[in-house]
Amino acid sequence: MRRLGVLTIAAAIAFSPLATRAAEKTLTIGVSDALSGGGAVYGVPEKRAIDLAIEQINAAGGIAVGKDKYKLAAIVYDDKADPTEATNVARKLIDRDGVKYLLGYCCSASTGAVASIIGREDAIMLVGTAGARAITSAGHKNVFRTRPPGDYTGDAAGRFIASQGVKRLGVVAARDVALFTQYRDALIKAFESEGGKVVAVETFGGQDRDMTAQLTKVRGLEPDAYFISGYVEQVAFAHRQAHELGIKAPRFGFSGGSAAQFLRVASAEAMEGVWDLIAIEFNAEALGENAKNYAKAYEAKWKEYPTPNSAFAYDQVYVLKAALEAAGTVDDLEAVKKALRNLTVPKEVVLRYLPVDGKMFDPKGQAYISNGAFQFRNGNWVFVKELPSDAAAYSKFFQTVRD
Amino acid sequence: MLVDLLQQLFNGLVIGSIYTLVALGLTIIFGILGIAHFAHGSVAMFGGYLTYFLILALGIGVFPAMALAMAGGALLGVVLERVAYYPVRNAPPINSFIIALGLTLIIEKSNLLLFGVDQIIVPTGFNRIFTIGGLALPELRIYILLTAAALVVALTILIQKSWMGMAVRAVAQNRAAAILMGINVHAVSMFVFALSSALGVAAGVLVGALFAIAPGVSGGLVVKGFAVLILGGLGSIPGAIVGGLVLGVSETFASAFVSSAYKDVIAFLLMIGVLLVKPEGIMRRSVAR
Repeated sequence: MRRLGVLTIAAAIAFSPLATRAAEKTLTIGVSDALSGGGAVYGVPEKRAIDLAIEQINAAGGIAVGKDKYKLAAIVYDDKADPTEATNVARKLIDRDGVKYLLGYCCSASTGAVASIIGREDAIMLVGTAGARAITSAGHKNVFRTRPPGDYTGDAAGRFIASQGVKRLGVVAARDVALFTQYRDALIKAFESEGGKVVAVETFGGQDRDMTAQLTKVRGLEPDAYFISGYVEQVAFAHRQAHELGIKAPRFGFSGGSAAQFLRVASAEAMEGVWDLIAIEFNAEALGENAKNYAKAYEAKWKEYPTPNSAFAYDQVYVLKAALEAAGTVDDLEAVKKALRNLTVPKEVVLRYLPVDGKMFDPKGQAYISNGAFQFRNGNWVFVKELPSDAAAYSKFFQTVRD
Repeated sequence: MLVDLLQQLFNGLVIGSIYTLVALGLTIIFGILGIAHFAHGSVAMFGGYLTYFLILALGIGVFPAMALAMAGGALLGVVLERVAYYPVRNAPPINSFIIALGLTLIIEKSNLLLFGVDQIIVPTGFNRIFTIGGLALPELRIYILLTAAALVVALTILIQKSWMGMAVRAVAQNRAAAILMGINVHAVSMFVFALSSALGVAAGVLVGALFAIAPGVSGGLVVKGFAVLILGGLGSIPGAIVGGLVLGVSETFASAFVSSAYKDVIAFLLMIGVLLVKPEGIMRRSVAR
C-alpha cells in the first residue's frame, strides 16, 4: 500500500509540468562478480571494466532516456564465484537494493545458479565471461550474454585444424569443466565431419599438473597433431611435458592465457609454434580503434593492461545504454527486453560481434564474436587469422538446445 | 610399444620417488610416535617456498638452497614437536590427532601469509633432454630420481649405522625397554621430527621443481603419502620406499592402459586391496595374534 503511495507521488511528480524539462536522474545497476578467491582473476578485471564504462558514460553526459538524462551508479557485491553466494547477492540486489539490471558474472558455476532463478524475477541479467552453454541455452527471456558458448568456438577450431592438413588428432583435455568439455566435443565433431580421425581422447582433472602419462600414451598412437585444452596453468604444464617427451607434431589448444602466464610454467622453446584457437576476446592487435582506446583508458585508470575477458563486461554497459536509449524507459522492463532483442551492435563496443539477422543478440539472448587462431612465436602470442565462424548457423542450432 | 612402456615406467618411477619421500617422513613419525602428522604436506610446501625464495634472494643453485631449506625444515620440525606434540605426549591419542589437524591449518595459512597466493615453480635450470632410443629422459626428472635415491640411501645408513639411528629403532621396537636402557626418548622424538621435516622439505622442493607449489597442493600430497603408508605398512621404512614406487608406477600405468579418468582412483583401490588382503602392508610380516 505504501509502495502504491510512493508510486502515486512519483507519478504526480513525473507528470507535473516541471518534468517536461530534461531532469538529471540516477540509474543504479547491480554488479555481481568474483572479487576474491580463485575466480578473482576474471572477476576483478570485469568490475574494473564496468567502472570504467560507467565513468565514461557519466562524463559524456549519461544516458538519454526519453526526455531524461540518467547518470549510472553501481552497487557491487563479491559473489566469490560461488553459486550460493551469487544467488544471495542476486536476492539482495533485487529485493533489498531494488536494482533492475544485473551485470558482471565472470564464472560459470555462480552465474549458472543465478541464471536458473532469474527467469522468474523482474530484472534483466547481462552476463560477461561465464562460458557454460546452459546459461543462455535455457532460454530465459531476461538473460543476455556477450561471451559466446564454448562449443561455438570449438566447431570453428575443429574445421581449422582439419584445414591445416591434420588427419589424425590426439586429444588431451580438461575432464570436468563444462566450457572445455563442450568446446572439445564440438571440435571433435567438426574435425571428424571434415574427414579427420581422433585417435584418442585423454583427460586430466582439476588439480593435475602431470600429463606425461596421457601424452606418452597419445604419442604412441602417432597422431599428426595434438589438441590440448583446459585452464592456462594446466595447459602450460602439458606443453612443457610434451616438449620434454620430444613431441614434434603441431599442438593446438584452447585456454586463452596471456604469454606471461604460459611462460611462468613452460619455456619459450617448449611453447614455440603452439596454437590457441579462441574467440577473439580483447586483443588490441586483432581488433580496431575502440579496442586501442579501451586499453589506453583502462591502463590510465587501473595502472595495468586489461585482461582479455574484461571487454565482455565493458561492452555490457554500452549494450545496456543503447538498449535503454532505444526503449526510452528504464522502468518498463518488457520494453527494455524488446529493445535488447532488436538491438544492432552499438558503435562503442570493443569486441567484434557477429550479428544474427542484423541483431546483436539471437532469440536466446546470446551474442557471438569472431573466433581467431593465435600462434606462439618468439615468446608471444601472434594473431594469425580470423577463423570462419558461422554465427547464424550456430545460433540456429543453439535455439534447439536445452541444457 | 616397448619404448612407450619404458617411458611410462620412467614417468611412474619419478612420481613414485616423490611419493616415497613424502611417505618416509610420515612413516618414521608414525612408527616412533604413533602420530598421524597431517601437517607434513604443509611442511613440504613450506620447504618448497623457502627454497624458491632462497634461490632468488641469495642467487644460489637449487641444491645448496635445498640443503639450507632442509636445515630450516629440521628446525621447524623440532619446534613443532616441542610446541605442539610434546605437551600432549601422555594424553589420549585423539589429542595429538586434533593437534595434527590444527597444525595443518596453521602452517597452510602461514604459508599463504608468508609467501602469497601465487603458484611458484622452483627454478632449476635443468632443461636438457636426453633421448635414448626414443626414450625421452628430461634432465630434471633424472635429477629428481637421483636426489630421492640419495636421500633414501642416506636415511637408511643413518637409521641402520649411527648411534642415534639405533636409538630410533630401539624406541620403535619397544619404547618402555628403550627407556630402561637409558635412551632419551625426548631427544629421539625431536630427532625424528627434524629428520621427517627435512625429508618433507626435500619432497616439497622436488614437487616445486617438477610441477608447482600453490595453496591446496599439500592436501593431495599428504593423502598420497598416507596411501603409501597403508600400502607399505604403517611405520615401515622399506614399505614406504616400495609403496611409493608401486603407487607412482600404478597410477601412471592406470592412466596409460586403463583410463586417465581413473588415475586417482588407483591409489584408493590399492589401499582397499591391501587392507582386505594384507592389512599389515605389503612390506611387513604378519603378526600372529
